[in-house]
Amino acid sequence: MSELIGSLFIFSGSVFLFSAGLGLLRMPDAFTRIQTGTKATTMGATLVMIGLAIYHPDWIFKLLLIIYFVYVSNPISSHALARSGHRLGTPMAPGPDALAEIDTRSDAAGDKL
Amino acid sequence: MMQRVLSVIVIGLLAVVFTRIVGAYVQLDALRPLAASYVTLSPESLTTPNVITGILITYRGLDTLGEVAVLFMVAASLGLLLKPLEGQPKPPKAFQRSDPGEIVHSGKQVMFPMILTFGAYVIVNGHLSAGGGFQGGAIVAAGVMLLLIATPETRLNTTLLSIVESTAGILFVLLGILGIVLAGGFLDPRFLPAGELGGFISAGAIPLISALLGIKVGAELSVVIDKFRT
Repeated sequence: MSELIGSLFIFSGSVFLFSAGLGLLRMPDAFTRIQTGTKATTMGATLVMIGLAIYHPDWIFKLLLIIYFVYVSNPISSHALARSGHRLGTPMAPGPDALAEIDTRSDAAGDKL
Repeated sequence: MMQRVLSVIVIGLLAVVFTRIVGAYVQLDALRPLAASYVTLSPESLTTPNVITGILITYRGLDTLGEVAVLFMVAASLGLLLKPLEGQPKPPKAFQRSDPGEIVHSGKQVMFPMILTFGAYVIVNGHLSAGGGFQGGAIVAAGVMLLLIATPETRLNTTLLSIVESTAGILFVLLGILGIVLAGGFLDPRFLPAGELGGFISAGAIPLISALLGIKVGAELSVVIDKFRT
């Protein structure tokens, strides 16, 4: 029974990971691709780790550490990527730029964002 | 036309070659004699359950020493290679280092200790599980890289790191010579008590050698990363 539940968790995690890969192909510009690659892989990795924890209950501590590491590192690294991309003026898909106003303000205030 | 025919012929010949290679592949049922002797000897005479560490640090210890020496030469020659040329213009404004922002900075404060702890864990468990000095040292250097990215104004004390790294290297060779004097040969770890198979303090001098390797590689790679900044 626990094997079945664990496998279901791992499978749903892999669905999320697949959607991340699909998003990389389907999204129109660099920023939305970064976003799919971050959110979906965070969820996918979490679900896979939960599934593994159900398979091997004695690994729970290490798996929790891995989930914690993913939760910290994944958003921060994609934030850094997107931020530097935005600063270098990477082209965006057409649509409103929510950061445009903040940018002009921060340029006036001496480049602190 | 001629070119197409030629490429079809070349592809056909390549197909023949590769089919022969694939057809000649036989799955080995048993280990080769050398591998089998490593697999049986590592747990028995070195008391390490990790055969790869046994090979890397003891049976092929001299190779590991050579790899470390190569790394040392890389670190020593990088300074010469990366020195800016006379009269070279400064890099353009877009590529100058800027503040990475508050989020990255706070994230560094959470992750830097985690990465260093994980590196130390990999180093000291080298004789029990996958990993060892080289790998753990690389993880430590990755933590240093995060530190340098998140706070670009950090100044690494490269002199101290070089001294630490050289001392670790000298101690590594000294342990090897102790192996000649007290046990079977250069880098023979059996001059310390073997302990129990799988225990944290076991496998003779392998954990010591592994820790020295980790310190050396970590310090060395940190210096290499620091040199790429300037």
